[in-house]
Amino acid sequence: MGNAFFVVWRESLEAFLIAGILYAWLQANDATGKGKRALFIGLAAGAGLALLLGWALLTVQDELTGEALEIFQTATLFVAAGLITQMVLWMRKHGRQMKAKLHAELSAAAERSGLIGVAIVAALAVAREGAETVIFLYGMAQEGDLKALLIGALAGFAGAGATAWLAAKSLARLNIGLLLRLSSILLLILASALLIAAVDRLIGAGWLPPLLDPVWDTSTLIDDSTKAGKLLADFSGYRARPALSSLLVWAAYWGVVLFAWRRSGRG
Amino acid sequence: MKHALYSAIFGLFLTSTTAIADDMPTFKLLMKDGRLHPETLEVPAMTRFRLEVKNEGPGAAEFESLELKKELVLAPGVTRSLVFFPMKPGSYKFFDDFHPETGQGKIVAK
Repeated sequence: MGNAFFVVWRESLEAFLIAGILYAWLQANDATGKGKRALFIGLAAGAGLALLLGWALLTVQDELTGEALEIFQTATLFVAAGLITQMVLWMRKHGRQMKAKLHAELSAAAERSGLIGVAIVAALAVAREGAETVIFLYGMAQEGDLKALLIGALAGFAGAGATAWLAAKSLARLNIGLLLRLSSILLLILASALLIAAVDRLIGAGWLPPLLDPVWDTSTLIDDSTKAGKLLADFSGYRARPALSSLLVWAAYWGVVLFAWRRSGRG
Repeated sequence: MKHALYSAIFGLFLTSTTAIADDMPTFKLLMKDGRLHPETLEVPAMTRFRLEVKNEGPGAAEFESLELKKELVLAPGVTRSLVFFPMKPGSYKFFDDFHPETGQGKIVAK
């Protein structure tokens, strides 16, 4: 049961965190309520997608379809990382406009694309980890231990929700400038972790050469195969033994993001 | 024409992968009740190999290794294969991400 709690908590935390941060930001910046509606639609769509993906992962046995699913999962990682990054930059621009009291006149198209972005990011966040939770819970249901399943899973969901709520709540306490900066940094770190996960998948499947693997080994400092280390790896992209191609992608990502961040700050 | 070309390439791809698959040594890993059998897998270094992972349950399992960059979720009763690329001699950790307390193992390449 304790294990069910931990697994469900960890698997759903990412989705809840993304939702919580977006909610805190929308609360402060979007008076119309359209953003929040987009967020909830995205979360609901993501839950549906998670069930579908979980079902697909359960039924797929042959290797060719397995490979197709692998490609799909890798693609969603890339798309999620890209969209979150784009959204953070969009938020920065948008947030500055609000701050400068340049009220309104965001063009309707820009607003719509922003809302669709919010919905897709939320949907992907739920769908990705949700699919694994679906399989995990399905397995527990097969064990027949329904009581432990229910208690553990519900506690896990609630725990993740509470963690995210706490994060969002403490973010919302900050002044708007700090809220914007901190939530942006959190989302960007999360996006970089997704990117590293995607690159790892490409290397693992043999589609991308690792170049040099590993470049260094810090597993004596922080071991990424322990519970806490894995958590750090999932949320920050930390690897005890990174491959050179992962490091290059990571460095390129932060290079591009910092450049775009500075540029959008000037405009 | 284009279509024919694609199917030819695809066919080639299929035969090439099966050709590789045939001469690859295969190792077996059993995931059961949150534990791994065996916990230490010995494999030849610098050789491609296939690992057949079977989850006997009860419950789902997730074979994962950040070091080897592999992640595979298995519902109870499911068997799936992973192909590993030639690895340098050494010890590589893997774990059952759904049972991190008990499911810790390593692949030793010699």
